[in-house]
Amino acid sequence: MATRNRTILFRKYRDTLQTVGSPTSNGVRTDKTASQKALNWQLHLCFTPMLPVLMPLSVLKNPPLPGIPYCVASELNRSGAVALGLPPEWVDLSEDVPSNVQRAHAKMAELKKAHAKALMPSFGDGKEDQQRIETLTHEITDLIRRSERKLQRLAAAGPSKDSNVRKNVQHSLASELQSLSMELRKKQSAYLKRLRQQEEGPNGVDFEMNIQGSRSQAEDDDLDDTAFNEHQLTRIKKSEALTTEREQEIQQSVNELAQIMKDLSVLVIDQGTIVDRIDHNIQSVAATVEEGLKQLQKAERTQKHGGMVKCATVLIIMCFIMLVLLFLKEIFF
Amino acid sequence: MVLVTLVRDYINRMLQDISGMKVLILDSQTVSIVSVVYSQSDLLKKEVFLVELMDSISKSKESMSHLKAVYFLRPTSENIQLLRRQLANPRFGEYHLFFSNILKDTQIHILADSDEHEAVQQVQEFYADFVAVDPCHFTLNIFSNHLYMLPVAMDPSNLQHYCDRIVDGISAVFLALKRRPIIRYQRTSDIAKRIAQESGKLMYQQESGLFDFRRAEISPLLLVLDRRDDPVTPLLNQWTYQAMVHELLGIQDNKVDLRTIGSIPKDQQEVVLSSEQDAFFKANMYENFGDIGMNIKKMVDEFQQIAKSNQNIQTVEDMAKFVDNYPEYRKMHGNVSKHVTLVTEMSKIVEERKLMLVSQTEQELACNGGQGAAFEAVTNLLNNDNVSDIDRLRLVMLYALRYEKESPVQLMQLFNKLAAKSAKYKPGLVQFLLKQAGVDKRTGDLYGNRDLLNIARNMARGLKGVENVYTQHQPLLFQTMESISKGRLRDVDYPYVGNHYQQARPQDVVIFIVGGTTYEEARSVALLNSTNSGIRFILGGTAILNSKRFLKDLEEAHRQIRSSSTGV
Repeated sequence: MATRNRTILFRKYRDTLQTVGSPTSNGVRTDKTASQKALNWQLHLCFTPMLPVLMPLSVLKNPPLPGIPYCVASELNRSGAVALGLPPEWVDLSEDVPSNVQRAHAKMAELKKAHAKALMPSFGDGKEDQQRIETLTHEITDLIRRSERKLQRLAAAGPSKDSNVRKNVQHSLASELQSLSMELRKKQSAYLKRLRQQEEGPNGVDFEMNIQGSRSQAEDDDLDDTAFNEHQLTRIKKSEALTTEREQEIQQSVNELAQIMKDLSVLVIDQGTIVDRIDHNIQSVAATVEEGLKQLQKAERTQKHGGMVKCATVLIIMCFIMLVLLFLKEIFF
Repeated sequence: MVLVTLVRDYINRMLQDISGMKVLILDSQTVSIVSVVYSQSDLLKKEVFLVELMDSISKSKESMSHLKAVYFLRPTSENIQLLRRQLANPRFGEYHLFFSNILKDTQIHILADSDEHEAVQQVQEFYADFVAVDPCHFTLNIFSNHLYMLPVAMDPSNLQHYCDRIVDGISAVFLALKRRPIIRYQRTSDIAKRIAQESGKLMYQQESGLFDFRRAEISPLLLVLDRRDDPVTPLLNQWTYQAMVHELLGIQDNKVDLRTIGSIPKDQQEVVLSSEQDAFFKANMYENFGDIGMNIKKMVDEFQQIAKSNQNIQTVEDMAKFVDNYPEYRKMHGNVSKHVTLVTEMSKIVEERKLMLVSQTEQELACNGGQGAAFEAVTNLLNNDNVSDIDRLRLVMLYALRYEKESPVQLMQLFNKLAAKSAKYKPGLVQFLLKQAGVDKRTGDLYGNRDLLNIARNMARGLKGVENVYTQHQPLLFQTMESISKGRLRDVDYPYVGNHYQQARPQDVVIFIVGGTTYEEARSVALLNSTNSGIRFILGGTAILNSKRFLKDLEEAHRQIRSSSTGV
């Protein structure tokens, strides 16, 4: 596809117009541009050494453009070149969520390794592996829940100037969180399935061997048989109890995640529907603003002509009249 | 490369090199251009957290200097003026300006002059100046489309704007494709000739450096046609999905607005019909109404099965599976409701207006002969009170276009009956149509009765019988495309611009119809492209017509000519 870059030509025109001073504008502008440049240069010198200390986290993410000073005060904006200003505070809030997502991804990788290790046949009881898996799962679920709460807080503060931007940031972060929680659920259910298969496997093998054993010894003592059977039964019962316990824990985290997913699905935009269209969103913004204005006007009108106001005034006046009558009664009688 | 992919690539390139939170500012035309190819969720992935229109942003005063502004505008003088004011008081941190077509030097001067704060970081031309509704179909969404029917002397400045917009759109298509075409036009149409010559001047003389691409392969062909060469196609009622929805309900920028029709649930009042995003629509957009009904029934049955299994949740595993598949389920539910709503509405309209009956006669008028039978059928339908006014008007127009020269007495009778029956009929409209698009004005062989080969072909078709009476019409464009692929497009009828001649068969052909295209023609193009004949056709127009829009253009042009003649 063909494109054409006109920036060089544009800059050439801009520089010639600013140094020479365009014939159409007044001469005051040329002075301003010269002082503008001097001010820029001074500020750049003053502020650059302090930059690493003063810059907030969000600004560090976008590296500063060379030659443009980072400024906090708006006076600089008026006189100097426009600089990329500091974002409002809610951006910090929203920046926490992506960092949480990153941490969750790292932990998921660890969880995957722990799952694989726990599924490998081992001689020991595997209790430390189970503990590790549990803690990792809890941490990830915790991260997701915290991010979700932060996301809700993002919308909490009422209608402001940049409410659209906040809403859109919310949407994009919500879809990221949803995909993360779905990944976690898939991993968990796969692990659970394989775990169950494995439990049946060794149990089945044990059972079979024991059956064989018991059958071979069937010709021997009957007492030995029953003893083996009992021993067998208790072991089966114990392992069953363990599995059910583990299952319960995993199901609990699954349920938690399901709840989070349900909440998030309200925030996420369905792809391919009318809500996902840019022109629809632009129009609906205009429409809701108009609607809001109409509602406000209606509310104002009803309040002014409100029957409530009239009643209240009438009652107060009646109260005063009664008070006056009471005083009069006291005085004259 | 496909048109939708081209525009998407342009937008991707705009957004990818700029890091951080961005705001995208569009004007009323580029909003359509971007909305049909890019979704809101795609924008969010690219960190564009706010989208604004140029007019509304000039009214607000708040400063958001932590955002970087990406402007994507058409290079019109109004936009440049608005931009000037905004650059004088910049609200955003950085300004990246992208224009959808060639900027004039004066415009760059004006912008450079107003950029006192040096907020502008780049100024680029990204040639996405057309609305890519389907992979091989684009439109320019021109509002006052009737201008092509007016004589040149009537409104020269508006006509110049109109032609400029068309030339801009066509050159943007070729710049996006990175090719420079050989240009041919329809001889009998003045406006087609004008546009072809102006495009040629632009591509070969004024901006020849910009258009100078490697010419290793065969040059593509640009063919500029006039809508009036085939006035029948926009007047016919359609029975294939996409064309039918546009004819009965109206599609604008791939959206269907159902708000005017009552009793529709809130979330279905505006729906999106895009072949890129909806797999069912992509598979069925060119199928006829009967087949669509069956396919929708199949889809509904599948969906009901899944819904039933979802209700039957017994174990925790089932619950887990349900939650896993919930997003898919919700999407499918939305899609099924959308198509069912559309088909229901269309069936209602077909029933109300008795379109099966009307359309049968229309197709007969468009395809087969027999003047006597046609006259009788049209008279019967005119007498039928259930037929709506617009359908009566269409029938008389179709009859007039075909049997213009035969039996003028009967034609007069039909005109009178039409005027008597339809209260809102503006007298002289049909005659106006004949003046614009009558037999003397047309180049192509619309009814296949000009040369012996076509007559023979028609007779053979009549004897063989047709598969479906309602879809037997084939637009004239189909024959034109066939001639191009056989290399038999006559030089006499479609002369070349300049002295560049086509040596061999072209491999890419862009056909532009001044006055608008129809979805029926887009369907022919798509079906021909899918046969892999070695040639790829792309269709474009000034608007996408249905019978209502075409009649509106006719009426508007008729009114203007009448008022100017009475005034003068």
